[in-house]
Amino acid sequence: MSEIGLLPVDAPATAPRPTARRAGYWLIATGGVMLAVMLIVTAFGPFIAPYNPAAISPDSLAGISAQHWLGTDSIGRDVLSRLIIGGRTTLFITAIAVSLALMAGLVLGLLSGYMGGIVDQMVMRALDVVFAFPVFLLAIAVVAALGPTIPNLILTIAIVYTPILARVVRGPVLSVKRWDHVEAARSVGVSEVRLVVSHILPLVISPILVETSLTLANTIFTVTALSFLGLGPPPPDPNWGGMLAEARQFMELAPLTVIAPAAAIVFATLTFIVLANGLRDMLDVGGQR
Amino acid sequence: MARLILIRLALAVPILLGVSIAAFILVRLLPGDFAQTAAGVTDVSAATLDLMRHNLGLDRPIWAQYLLWLGHALGGDLGTSFATKRPVTSEIFPRLAVTFELTLIAALMAMAMGVATGLASARLRGRADWAVRVWNGFILAIPNFVVATLIVLLAGLYFPQIGIFNYTPFFTDPVANIGSLLLPGLSLALAVSVTVSENTRAAVLEIAAQDFVMVARAKGLRPRSVLWNYLVRNALTPVITVTGLRVASLLGGSILIETIFAIPGMGQYLFDSITSRDYPVIQAIVLVTAAIVVLVNVLVDIAYIRADARVEM
Amino acid sequence: MTEPLLDVTGLTAEFVHRGETIPALNGIGFTVAAGEAVGFVGESGCGKSVMARAIMRLAPEGSSVRLGGAVRFQGTDLMALSEARMRDIRGSRIAMVFQDPMTSLNPVMTIGAQMADMIRRHTGFSARQARARVLELLDDVGIRDPQRRIDDHPHQFSGGMRQRVLIAIAVSCEPDLLIADEPTTALDVTVQAQILRLLMRLRERHGMALMLISHDFGVIAGMVERVNVMLGGEIVETGAVEQIFAAPAHAYTRALLDAVPRLDAEGRQA
Repeated sequence: MSEIGLLPVDAPATAPRPTARRAGYWLIATGGVMLAVMLIVTAFGPFIAPYNPAAISPDSLAGISAQHWLGTDSIGRDVLSRLIIGGRTTLFITAIAVSLALMAGLVLGLLSGYMGGIVDQMVMRALDVVFAFPVFLLAIAVVAALGPTIPNLILTIAIVYTPILARVVRGPVLSVKRWDHVEAARSVGVSEVRLVVSHILPLVISPILVETSLTLANTIFTVTALSFLGLGPPPPDPNWGGMLAEARQFMELAPLTVIAPAAAIVFATLTFIVLANGLRDMLDVGGQR
Repeated sequence: MARLILIRLALAVPILLGVSIAAFILVRLLPGDFAQTAAGVTDVSAATLDLMRHNLGLDRPIWAQYLLWLGHALGGDLGTSFATKRPVTSEIFPRLAVTFELTLIAALMAMAMGVATGLASARLRGRADWAVRVWNGFILAIPNFVVATLIVLLAGLYFPQIGIFNYTPFFTDPVANIGSLLLPGLSLALAVSVTVSENTRAAVLEIAAQDFVMVARAKGLRPRSVLWNYLVRNALTPVITVTGLRVASLLGGSILIETIFAIPGMGQYLFDSITSRDYPVIQAIVLVTAAIVVLVNVLVDIAYIRADARVEM
Repeated sequence: MTEPLLDVTGLTAEFVHRGETIPALNGIGFTVAAGEAVGFVGESGCGKSVMARAIMRLAPEGSSVRLGGAVRFQGTDLMALSEARMRDIRGSRIAMVFQDPMTSLNPVMTIGAQMADMIRRHTGFSARQARARVLELLDDVGIRDPQRRIDDHPHQFSGGMRQRVLIAIAVSCEPDLLIADEPTTALDVTVQAQILRLLMRLRERHGMALMLISHDFGVIAGMVERVNVMLGGEIVETGAVEQIFAAPAHAYTRALLDAVPRLDAEGRQA
């Protein structure tokens, strides 16, 4: 499920930097707008949502109407409200989980890359083992082990995505370590911490920004997929994946119950993909997954 | 070259060992008492439970348990299912075959679609290039289970005569079998086809600039001949290896697809066994799946080594 | 006087790159008679490779080239031909040998296959007939044990042998004109002489005209009857080889000649 990578840039010989930059601006602008929309809607969710997402009504499987802009589900709950509140939950989990993964990945990657030697080898072998598991399989196993609650979901996602972020951090660290002026600075007695901060971090920021965007997109995948299988936030919290799964039963009668959560999932994922590609174009990072 | 291959194989061993340890520990973390769950029935006397624990080897130190399990696993014995009381190996094998078939079909479809769009993008340029890239970007944003659900919806609404949930085993009716796996395969294949498409495009662009393609043109060969024998055949190596690297994501996705289309593969089996707390099965599936990923990655690396040898020497 | 095999007049070439036009050939003109061997000498960047490709109308991938002037080959202006007709001519009437044998062969096809595809393209040979012809050719160019080698892949051949294969490919359809663009530059010195001898032998046997392009006067001498000296997209001097050697008129030609290490030079500094 860690499918999402970057769209290729033309080889530098054919596409001059300014064009790539301009494309980058547009992509980031678009992605930024999409992100802003999502954030605003979910932040003000409880105030915007016309109904209580858990409110059952006898008006089930209704189509688009004035009372229910996106119709209702099989037990009469308003789809739009569930979409909005569900988005809150999904994005909340995503944001926290990826932040955790980012912090853990930074620490692990910096440590491993900087210390090198046996520590680096051990960490890399351990990460190789993690990489051997399909992301989704691992997520299922961990959630099953810990139980499907929101904190556990956050923890699972963080565990599953830390390795890739650690690896992305480690790369620049390894190469910078060998640079002459870093050696020189070290020999003059500049503290290790300052070395890391002033030399290594700036190099790491670009690929990390891009990779984090990709991870955000992949996390939306994973969270919604887990909740699709019933391993997501427990009821009554609505969530997009769960909505999709529930809608399967009567989907021919009310296609909107499928299309609405599907569109929401695609929108959220697309936001981060667009941002990732825009960042990559702008920061001119060698994009690869 | 042989040396490089041996090194790569050797590297796989510690990873596989690590995988087995991880699988072992993961299952031990699952809630519930092992013996209790094995017994199945809730009111079992403490004495019986103790006996069961002893039989299952649970009273030995954990590393001994692991080695015992590992030893059995290497010999092909993956334990006994709590639910069906039959050997796990015989339960997994047919389901593994099904998932393998689904994954293979998905991989082939992904390659076909990806190579076609990648070629179009690289050779036609301009509008076609732009269209393919927009399409790719959009497709990537649709998770495979969403694709699958939408496919089922579309079929239900507009083609109700097509039976979607009609998986037929291979030996019953090969044609129907493959037919029933086409739509599930498509759901899995779409996201992977994007990666294949991008890689094909990059490969073809790079190869087209090579000297031997210029020589082919200087020979007066027809464009189609140059395209297939000189461009595509050389682009296939990176394409196949890239698809191989995507096995992990195909396997992960198959869990969802099998659930949606009611296909009795490993993914569905995993899900069922988690729900029913069938620990030996969970352990075995995790181990087998990860082992497959590791092995495929090794094969891909070996293919790279051989391809490099051809080009560099 | 019979019409020359190749008659180039006012050949210009410009590269168009992101709106900028970069000239490469500045209106060059020369002739090649049937069966004649003509040399083209100049340093890199003088446009000799561009000229060779312009005659064959082979633009490099991913760049756009504007050609002008006339290239009359056996009476027909190649510039005016359709691409399809040009494809018929490439390989069968005009053939080319390129500079780098290590990258000029398709790594995933057997030697036999990539020799046969050209033969079958330009003749009606069956697979078996083409294979027999390939074996003949491999023998002609000095590949030992052709029966076994025909199914080998390029990476199993050395650089010198690959160049022999490429030469075999070039002469396989008995072209009237062979263009050799720096055929020995990428090879060891010992192998260079062998390859040049091979070219000479094949040329005599088939009666082909030869355009030999090199930056090295030493390679040209002994192989050709006439020489064109190129500089900056133009031909700055032309004449019989002995005459150029004895009394170079242009300053650049003199500089080129001076660059060639000569056994009979009496204490001349390069």
